[in-house]
Order: sequence, then C-alpha cells, then structure tokens
Amino acid sequence: MTASQIIFYLIAAFILGFGILSMTTRKIFRSAIWLLFSLIGVSGLYFWLQVEFIAAVQIVVYVGGIVVLIIFSIFLTQQSGIEMPKAPFKRTIASVLTVLFGFAFTYLLISKNNFQAGDGKFNADVSTIGTRMLSAGEQGFALPFEAVSILLLAAMIGCIVIAMKSKPEEK
Amino acid sequence: MWNDYLQLMKSEWMVIIVIFILLFLKLGKKERNTESLLHFINVLLFINLASGFIYHRDGSLFGDMFHSNSLLAFEKNVLSLGTLIISMQSFHWLKNHKHILEFYILLLSTLLGMFFMLSSNNLLMFYLGLELSTIPLAALANFDLEKRVSSEAAMKLILSSAFSSGLLLFGISMLYGSTGTLNYLELSQQLTGTPLQILSFVMFAAGFGFKISAVPFHLWTADVYEGSPVAVTSYLSVISKGAILFVFVSVLYQVFHHMALAWYNLIFIISVLTMTIGNLFALRQQNMKRFLAFSSISQVGFILIGITGQSAAGSASVIYFVLIYVFSNLGAFGVVSLVSALTGKETVNDYKGFYKNNRVLSWVLAISLFSLAGIPPTAGFFGKFFLLLAGAGTTHQSGGQINYLLIVIAALNMVISLYYYLRIIRAMFMDSTEQPIEKIKSSFSPNLSFIICIAGILITGIASGAYNYIYSLVK
Repeated sequence: MTASQIIFYLIAAFILGFGILSMTTRKIFRSAIWLLFSLIGVSGLYFWLQVEFIAAVQIVVYVGGIVVLIIFSIFLTQQSGIEMPKAPFKRTIASVLTVLFGFAFTYLLISKNNFQAGDGKFNADVSTIGTRMLSAGEQGFALPFEAVSILLLAAMIGCIVIAMKSKPEEK
Repeated sequence: MWNDYLQLMKSEWMVIIVIFILLFLKLGKKERNTESLLHFINVLLFINLASGFIYHRDGSLFGDMFHSNSLLAFEKNVLSLGTLIISMQSFHWLKNHKHILEFYILLLSTLLGMFFMLSSNNLLMFYLGLELSTIPLAALANFDLEKRVSSEAAMKLILSSAFSSGLLLFGISMLYGSTGTLNYLELSQQLTGTPLQILSFVMFAAGFGFKISAVPFHLWTADVYEGSPVAVTSYLSVISKGAILFVFVSVLYQVFHHMALAWYNLIFIISVLTMTIGNLFALRQQNMKRFLAFSSISQVGFILIGITGQSAAGSASVIYFVLIYVFSNLGAFGVVSLVSALTGKETVNDYKGFYKNNRVLSWVLAISLFSLAGIPPTAGFFGKFFLLLAGAGTTHQSGGQINYLLIVIAALNMVISLYYYLRIIRAMFMDSTEQPIEKIKSSFSPNLSFIICIAGILITGIASGAYNYIYSLVK
C-alpha cells in the first residue's frame, strides 16, 4: 500500500466516521456540527485529488454556506439543547437493512461497471476554468453562465414578491 | 457570426427582450392603469408568438450546447401560444392583483427556461433550463398572496421539485461518471446499457416522472393544483408539462435509444398505472381544479403510451397530442378560471344549472371536456387515436406484435374517463338548482382566448394537415 492510498483511506474514514456520528447523535445541533466535519473531509478528498479549485468551492459553499444555513434554521425553529427521542427498535432495524441493501446494490453496480482509466491529462487551474467559463466557442460555458444569471434574477424577484406580501390591507 | 447568435436564438432573445421591457416598466413610474397594462403585455406576447413563425434556420451554437431546427421552433411556438392564451384568460384575476409585472416576469423566465431546455444539446444546459422553468413557478404558485393554501401549494411544489431535481441530477452525474461526456450525441454513442447506466436511467425517469406527475410520483399534483391561482394551475398542467414531455421524447429517442429494450417495459408499466390511478381518483373529486389535476394525470398516461412507440410516429403523435391538449385543457381551465375569478365558486356542485345563465361558456367547457374525453368530432379523439396507433402498433420492442393488452387497458380507461367528464356536462346542462351561477360578464381577452381554443380543438381535429405537418418535421 502506497502512502497516497493510506491517505485516501484515512480521509475516507474521517468522512464516514463523522457522517455516522452526525446520524446517531441525539442532539440536533451536534448533528449539524458533525456534518460540518464530514463536509470538510470531502474537501480534503478533493485536495487529495489535486483539484484545488473544487476543494475551495466545497469549503466556501458547503462548509461556509449550507451548514451555516442549517445552523441558523435550527436556532430559529428547534430548541437545540433538547435531546431527540430515541428511535424505536423496529425503525433502527429497518434503516440498518436499508443501508446494507443500498451499500450492496451500489457496490454491485460499480464493480460490474467497466470504468476506463483516464489519460492523466487534467488541467484544472483557476485561469483555465475562468477562460472556459466565459468562452462561447467549443468547450466554453458562456451559455450556462448566462442562464444561471437569469435564474438568479427570477429567483430574486420571486423572493421579493413573496416576502413583500405582509400588510395588504393597511394601505 | 453575430448573425448566427441572432437567428438561431431568436425565440430566446424575444422572451429576454420582453422580460427586460417589463422589468424597466416596473422600475419606472408607479401608478398605471392595470387594464391597459394587461392589454399591452398581451400584445407583447402576441409579437413574441408571431416572431416564432418567421424565418427559422437549423444549426448549433456554443460548441454544440445549443441547437435549433424547425421541429424545435414548432414546439416553442406551441408553448408561446399556450402562454398567450393563459395570459388572456387570467385577465380578470390579474386586473385586481398588485404584482402584475412580477407575475409576467416570472412566467416568462419559466418560458425561457423551457426554450433553453428544448434547445439544449447537452445535459448541463438541459438541467439549467429545467431549473429555470420550475423555481420561478413555485413563486408563481404563491401569487394568491393572502391565502394560506397558496403558500402551502408553493411549499409543496418547491420541495417536491427540489427532490425530483436531486434524483435527476444524481442520474445525470452517474451518466457522466460512466461515459465522461454530457453531450447528447456522444452520450448516445457510449450508452450500451450497463447496470450503472440502467440505474442512472431509472433516476432520470423518476425525475421526469415527478415533473409530468406520472404515477407513482403524482402525490404533489392535486394539492399544488388546488392551492395555486387558476392561471398558474393551467400553466403548470399544460405548458410546463407539455415542455417536459417534448424534452422527454427527444432525450429518450436521442440519448437512450440504444437502451430502448430497457426502458420500454418501464414506460409501459408507468403509463398503465398513471392512466388507471389518475382516472380512479378523478372519479371522486368535487373541486374543479382537483378534478382537472387528476384528469391531466390520466392524460399523461395516454401520452406515455405514445412514447413507448419509439419511432417517428411515436414522437409525432406525442407532439400532436400536446398541441391538442393545450387547446382542450386551456378551454376547460379558462372557463374555470373566469368563474373562479368573478364568483369564487370552484366545486362541481356550483356548476349545476350553469347552462341556464351562461350558454356560451357552457358550450366552451363542454367542447373542451369532449375533446379531453376523446369523442370523435373533436381533436382529442384523433390525438388519442394516433397515440394508441404509435404505442400499441407493431413496434420493434414488442417483438412485432400488436399490443392487445395495452389497447384493452386504454379502452377501459377511456370508458371510465367518459363517465367523469360527462358528470360535469350533466351538472351543467341537465341538473337544476335554485341558485345557479349568475350571468358572467366576460371581456374581450378571455372571449378571444375561448375562440382560439374552440377553433383549435375543431380545426386540428378535422384538418389532417396538422398531424402530417408534425410528422414531416419529425422525420
């Protein structure tokens, strides 16, 4: 086993371990924090793959954005200190069986699939990504970029209309 | 170079221009006469529709991410026409609404998303178009701002569409993982039907199933349709569903055609389930919007029969049926929308004795329902006929046999559907009650939309040119 493989298994164990912790803890706030560690582990996996940009995006979007949102919504809706009730035994059995089935199924599918090894040429530095993001020609992503901007505009207008709905009678 | 961008993306440019005109109107002066504003918007939408008919060209742009041809131009015109009809029908509802411009901006963004989705030649663009066509719809479902049911509908729509997008995206990422490309043409060459690819297709089909509300992914439909404003309900059930069916047909035939043996049975079972369960639930509905929701589920079941055909005939029959479905369903929704906006009545019992005071509207609703049920002089009959011909006929997948089982199930379902469509017609024409709905004072825009719908139902059925034209485009 090479050093690289050992690092891979360490990162994988890190991700899975914190994933399991976040599923099994009885306090919802802790669950969110364990999820945070698990997501940091995923970004570590991207660093291991040498796609630094994706790793940075993973940290900015998931760790910085989504987990913070989750924590906000926990504080706004739940009493975070209270322990959740223990799951009934039947449900535990059912979920364990589901997980085992899902794992076996995925393993079978992946092992039967004939993956082709890549040619090793993979250029993912930030300047290449930036150039391709805004180029309109072959291998360019200008059109999806513009489509996303219209999507954001529409989503913003929708949010404003819904949020403005209070006090219809006062005027 | 610039010519290409202008000509091939003509319909997208038109929609974007209209969106920005409305955005600048919104930013400008505050008080406006709502009626003249609505007429102005309808004229803009008409210009958008008319521009779709002139001068289209085949070709692709952005490194094959976007393509256009005359079939796509035709499909976009169908969607633009439907949007115009809905806009005219919602005149009375929008007249008293405070956010008319935002309504249209969101509506047109979804239309733009559908155009991108139709024209996409790449799964990334397809996915973005799909999101652009569903996320603003959730905001639209909330447009009865004071009603709780409307918020509930929006919440259910956004959650179920997020879940279905998740499934779809998982399917897409597995496809990408097993082939290394997102381009339709390259995908179709590399898909051979390995187990991983079949699983990704199942995810794909589940995502689509949510969007077209095929059984067993239909549970959100009735609540969302009932809670949303009628204009949005008709948009969801006709335009959004139509666009996704167009895309589903082209993706199935273009990308997954080597895996046809794998998906034939799946689509077959889903179509039988959808027809039957949609029909059985429609029997019991008392609310007109819920009733039309379940009837639209069973119509989707019929459309899926056509999709199993997997040939030019299958594709053409689906597009033809969606065209007819636009006219018939919008005719029915138009009447329901008018009655709901002016009297607030939405149940089947309210429609008792409707003929007494509203003769023309009763006939419009009756003809639309006849067309939905598939009774011969109307176009609906021919639509279902061609779907069955494509799906149950001798195809490659069924081993060259005529699929009698499918014909029997479809015939039984048509009988059931006839019962519940005629129940509405009976309530309108034959039942009498002390207080039938008063005479409804309609105005120019809804009346014009009814004329278009009825003309569409009668002409597309009788003139055989329509089907032949679509068939020639598909070939």
